[in-house]
Amino acid sequence: MGHMVSTELPPLARAESVLELADFDEVVRLYRPRIFRFLMTSLGDRDLAESLTQDCFLKAYTARHQFRGESSLNTWLTRIALNLVRDHLRSQRMRFWQKTRETALDIVDVGDWVPDGACSPEEVCLQQERVREIWRSVDKLSRQQRTVFLLRFVEEMELAEIADVTGMNTSTVKSHLYRALRIVRERASGKSEGEQ
Amino acid sequence: MNTHPEQFRDVLPPDEVLIEPSGQFGNDLRNFRAAAHRAAERQASEPVPFGWLNAAKRRRRQAQRRLMFALVSATACVALLFTAALPTLHHSKPVTEAAVHQSNADDTALLEQVDTAVSESVPSSLAPLDALDNLDTKTSTDTQTSLSKPEKKNVSQ
Repeated sequence: MGHMVSTELPPLARAESVLELADFDEVVRLYRPRIFRFLMTSLGDRDLAESLTQDCFLKAYTARHQFRGESSLNTWLTRIALNLVRDHLRSQRMRFWQKTRETALDIVDVGDWVPDGACSPEEVCLQQERVREIWRSVDKLSRQQRTVFLLRFVEEMELAEIADVTGMNTSTVKSHLYRALRIVRERASGKSEGEQ
Repeated sequence: MNTHPEQFRDVLPPDEVLIEPSGQFGNDLRNFRAAAHRAAERQASEPVPFGWLNAAKRRRRQAQRRLMFALVSATACVALLFTAALPTLHHSKPVTEAAVHQSNADDTALLEQVDTAVSESVPSSLAPLDALDNLDTKTSTDTQTSLSKPEKKNVSQ
């Protein structure tokens, strides 16, 4: 059995988290970009991510009295968002005949980003293509692998935090992360080698 | 592939390698993070509009209404089916009971008829035949007894 690493906050931090939730407008202002980003990268759809971000904060507002500050506010909100993603994917499977991703995030859109520092145009193109390739690889991962990968490499969460959000053991999180990394690396490197 | 994640526990690399891969792939992952942040910031950096959560509230009300409608429809369907099937159920029961009653009455009548026929007195002209019949019965019983005797004897030997 893998061990669960506690991410429980000390009493002072708990109180701060609960107090932070009291000013809900501020909570929305602070955490909306993160939640939206997580939902957008998880679902690959801007409009859907915006709708689920609203649902997430409505749920958080409705259940704000149940929040005891046992985890950070970010972890709590991300857990709600992840549950919404699961619910959405489940209902999408039930309505398989419906066309989805009408406002799907374009891979070119994600790759349309200029790296910092002085790079030659060729280097910029190469890096953009690598980012697009990683994006394509992430899209092909299993749901759990993708969630763990995104929480680690986009949201920069610690392994214990990811375990807390997903409800997995830390060892299971590591396994998923390892397999996700291996798949993304293989696909990304295979593609770039093939192109060269 | 349908392998359990626990299988990889022994071959997992150290946490540092998992958390932040190095080299070219590490750079690619950092670029991917920057790209994802930038793509999300375009939309999420805008100020939160007034009544931003109203759309979510409306969706929730619609979902509740849909659920109620589905429940009411299902209940109505069940009630309709029950109502439609009720006459069939109602009629099928007496027909079965009547058939059982009829069958019982027929059986009783037949038994009575047999009893009457058996208990009828033999006419005087047929009396010798009756005596002969009684004699046959007695003889066959005697024969059976005599046949069974040696067998018993053999068994005892």
